[in-house]
Amino acid sequence: MITKHLNELYAYRNLIWQLAWSEFKLRYKNSILGYFWSLLEPMLMLTVLYVVFSNLMRVQVEYFQLFLLLGIILWNFFSRATSIGMNAIVGKANMVKKIYFPRDIFVISSCITALLMSIFESFIFIMFMAFFKVSISTNIAYAPLILFFLFVISLGLSLLLSALNVFYRDVQFIWQVVLQAGFFATPILYTLDIFPENLQKIILLNPIARIIISARDTIIYSAPAGTEDLLFMCISSIVSLLIGYLIFSRFEPRFAEEI
Amino acid sequence: MAAIEVEHLYKTFRIPHEKRTTLFEALTGVFKPQAYETFHALKDINFTVEDGEALGIIGVNGSGKSTLLKIIANVLRPTGGNVNIHRKITPFLELGVGFQPDLTAVENVKIYATIMGMQKREINDKLDEIIEFAGLEKFRDTKLKNFSSGMQVRLAFSTAIQTDPEILLLDEVLAVGDMEFQQKCLDVLNQYQKDGVTIVFVSHDLGAVRRFCDRTLLLNKGEQVVLGDTGEVIDRYVYGGGEEAPTPSGNKNESTKNEPDPAETEEKPENKTPRWGDRTVEIINVEFHDKFGNKGSRFNSFDPMTIRIFYHAHKKISDAVFGIALYSENGENLFGTNTELKNFELETLEGKGHVDLMIERIPMITGRFLLTVAVHTHDQKPYDWHDKQYSFDVIPTCRDVGLFEVPCNWKI
Repeated sequence: MITKHLNELYAYRNLIWQLAWSEFKLRYKNSILGYFWSLLEPMLMLTVLYVVFSNLMRVQVEYFQLFLLLGIILWNFFSRATSIGMNAIVGKANMVKKIYFPRDIFVISSCITALLMSIFESFIFIMFMAFFKVSISTNIAYAPLILFFLFVISLGLSLLLSALNVFYRDVQFIWQVVLQAGFFATPILYTLDIFPENLQKIILLNPIARIIISARDTIIYSAPAGTEDLLFMCISSIVSLLIGYLIFSRFEPRFAEEI
Repeated sequence: MAAIEVEHLYKTFRIPHEKRTTLFEALTGVFKPQAYETFHALKDINFTVEDGEALGIIGVNGSGKSTLLKIIANVLRPTGGNVNIHRKITPFLELGVGFQPDLTAVENVKIYATIMGMQKREINDKLDEIIEFAGLEKFRDTKLKNFSSGMQVRLAFSTAIQTDPEILLLDEVLAVGDMEFQQKCLDVLNQYQKDGVTIVFVSHDLGAVRRFCDRTLLLNKGEQVVLGDTGEVIDRYVYGGGEEAPTPSGNKNESTKNEPDPAETEEKPENKTPRWGDRTVEIINVEFHDKFGNKGSRFNSFDPMTIRIFYHAHKKISDAVFGIALYSENGENLFGTNTELKNFELETLEGKGHVDLMIERIPMITGRFLLTVAVHTHDQKPYDWHDKQYSFDVIPTCRDVGLFEVPCNWKI
């Protein structure tokens, strides 16, 4: 059944790409300036956070700009993927009601849209890396794997949320609150060691926290990713995708009626 | 071989009285059972469509036609029964699904063609052809929101016909667009049919159904009334027997209005009621009969029809003349005749009885027609005059336009 569905998705690969790309273009209103403006937001955020944390609160972290920027980019991806993905079905009501193709295509392409947006932001990060002359080690080979786990977790959550959102429209508001809280509960602005030991354990239950920490270690600080971390990320992405698909396929037959 | 098999198909919708749309409502209402209505949209539908066959689905609004088509297209899922599809489906449920107003014509064509199942190379090859066929070469890179709705439909249509369907599902596609567009649609359909594409066609345009479909399925309130030869099924639909065919208000109201005791009607000022005369001979009722002898109020154009006038002569009358006059819906007098003009000798009338006016072939093409029925003396003194009190509908069976058919042929 899984291989059959994968085959089906492969057959629709053009559609997935077309939907993702057109959504991406729409978000930036199809203009070069649009892309440019979209970069201003994370840059502004970075500047403010950098000034506040390094000067006022005197956080002592090596390459703090890069530390912040990578955290923000990864969190932005997670938050965008789930927010766009959550509305993937509800926002395409017209198509869902009129035509059939596997409905998870909508969600997958939403996550790809978010990915495209993040890739765009990563160019700035790469420029910063070059500017600060950060040395890169072979440990960066872990990075693609870590980012892959991030994508899969986001996709699983998006599937779950998009299905729930069809039936319960307040899910979007609840999720926005969760994301807000998550932003501060995840070590994006600070390092993990500012917390006491027992609180750290709780924070590390959040797979996104582990992803951001490991990504920083491997990309910026030339350190290898911890086996425990990788295992945890791997298991949480499988669980997230599994639950996402289970709920999604349970609700999917009634999408066209309920939407 | 069968392209589509539908077996014992049921579809039930649950319509909650109060819809819970939020998680909050769902949680707070966990212990309160939800009240809902069940609506049986489809009940025990069975049919197969063979390869290369064209099946029409007809029925009044709300009979479940579109629901059935959506289930075949897999947009809705059946409550019970099976639908087996053995071919690739291209649904034309609506033209231009997924059009984005903020993207250009070319971009939209690419997305729409992908949705319709075309491959990337195919799309790139046919892109120019599509734009050209839609007549929009100058507007390739114009955003879709700046297009008129007609231009959008043309764009969608010319994209859609580039697909290579095996099964085509059509839901009232012909209803949109002007004459020229409809003609284009019909040409394309003809071509598909020649190429052996299996077609399922939902339409209110019985003329189109008659021309395209080999077999037709008639639905009524979600039930399969009859499936068979298109001509017979359309007859069944149009003449569907007294109960099934909706009686137009004109006829129905009048038959009840005529019934109450005359004293009541006499109180009203004579000139305002559409009925006058001294009622020595009274017209009790007027019925329209179709070619099967059933009462009805809808007729195929060019079919025979009988107008039956029931009268009650309160005393012996020997000079009565029965007459009718036909009006268009706007009240233009189209035709009139009476027994005297046709030199029909009425015997002396007494008591109850009826006279029939036989129409061999209804020459009207389409529309609603009003009928005046009267009985009067030789010198035009009315016994009973029902002015435009009856009506019937004519449903087109040809492609000519206008109110009436003029028998004619082309020649070189």
